[in-house]
Amino acid sequence: MSNQTNNENFVIYEVFSQKTVSASFVHQFSLLAPNAEVALSMARENFLRREPCFNLWVVKRDDIHGLPPEERPFLERLDNKSYRETKGYGDLQGRWRRHKDEYEAQHNTKSGS
Amino acid sequence: MNTQLEHSDLTEDAKMEAFLAKIDRGEKIEADDWMPDDYRNQLIKLISMHGISEIMGALPEKEWVPKAPTLRRKLAIMAKVQDEMGHGQLLLRVAEDLIAPLGKTREDIMQDLFAGRLKFHNVFHMEAPTWADAGVIGWLVDGAAIITQSMSLDTSYAPYARALHRICAEEKFHAQHGESIVLELAEGTEEQRQMLQESITRWWPSLLMFFGPPENGNITSNQASNMRYKIRSQTNEELRQIFLKKYLPRIFHLGFTVPDETIYFDEAEDKWIYQQPDWEEFKQIVKGKGPRSAHRLHLREMSYEETKWVRDAILSYGRQVG
Repeated sequence: MSNQTNNENFVIYEVFSQKTVSASFVHQFSLLAPNAEVALSMARENFLRREPCFNLWVVKRDDIHGLPPEERPFLERLDNKSYRETKGYGDLQGRWRRHKDEYEAQHNTKSGS
Repeated sequence: MNTQLEHSDLTEDAKMEAFLAKIDRGEKIEADDWMPDDYRNQLIKLISMHGISEIMGALPEKEWVPKAPTLRRKLAIMAKVQDEMGHGQLLLRVAEDLIAPLGKTREDIMQDLFAGRLKFHNVFHMEAPTWADAGVIGWLVDGAAIITQSMSLDTSYAPYARALHRICAEEKFHAQHGESIVLELAEGTEEQRQMLQESITRWWPSLLMFFGPPENGNITSNQASNMRYKIRSQTNEELRQIFLKKYLPRIFHLGFTVPDETIYFDEAEDKWIYQQPDWEEFKQIVKGKGPRSAHRLHLREMSYEETKWVRDAILSYGRQVG
């Protein structure tokens, strides 16, 4: 092997990109690079040839800490938390409408803006 | 990089001009972009106040967690309190990145709060003596907050906009949680309706104060510079009118009143004409002289001190394992 391709000097970078200023960063993929500067330029060539992009991050995979496989199943959420979601309050609109109709019938008006 | 070298060669005036031009083009500012000190300071004031208000706002509601009337209501109000603390954490992170170049940290924000240097929203200085208050806070206080925050979604400071995007999505659930409590009481017994009416009456001046004093044609220098920087896009009074237009009809539809006998909608002016709350009282309240200010600050400070050992333990463990 030639010493120009000494893979020991390459590290894995995970690539994240942001589509617009208001968007969250999204994981794209990973690549091998000798340093962050090269990783940034390779990320553009590899993953952003077409997609619009506002900003770009590369992070050494060693600096990312994730859940081990055996802990991942505990991320699943029990489906008993409708009180946390708007779907648990589907009756509200109808109730507001009824109060409005009753009020307008009583006051014989369509105003009240 | 070249562009940065060139930028640092610019005079302060030229940097300011480029900064304002960027904002005028509708572009956003990131934490590591150059920004004038005035812009940074306005953001620090606004966002640390907002973040601390989220945390202080959880306190009047938390009082109702042990006393919620049903298990579902208890779970829902706990979820809301948890969300509010989460919003505080998001906003404090944004504020911390802004104060970092000044050599300050979250500890400075907390100490500023305890020393009374950092203000929080007037509504969170008030009492919440009945279950109806828990409903009114969710319905009208969160409703008012949604109006202010929706305006700020388009703020020129990108990290604040991204935090608000997350916050607004959850605030919608909070408003619905409040509406659900309010409708239940409004459709309930005479006693429940009376409790709700008393709560609306109690909160009315605070709700009017929430948006800050009206401009009366005299926009304050703070408001003017925040609008120039596109940190905000509407005045106090404009926001208050949006609130009144949305919520007053609903209060009336439920058959309730507000403590303002002369209030009316002026069709020609397209606005509600209402009696001003006592703005001198407002100043005193936000200075920390509201009915529950001292109590809630004490609670926050006590909780901060009592959990110090947890932070110390985490830090010590973190250093050991590296």
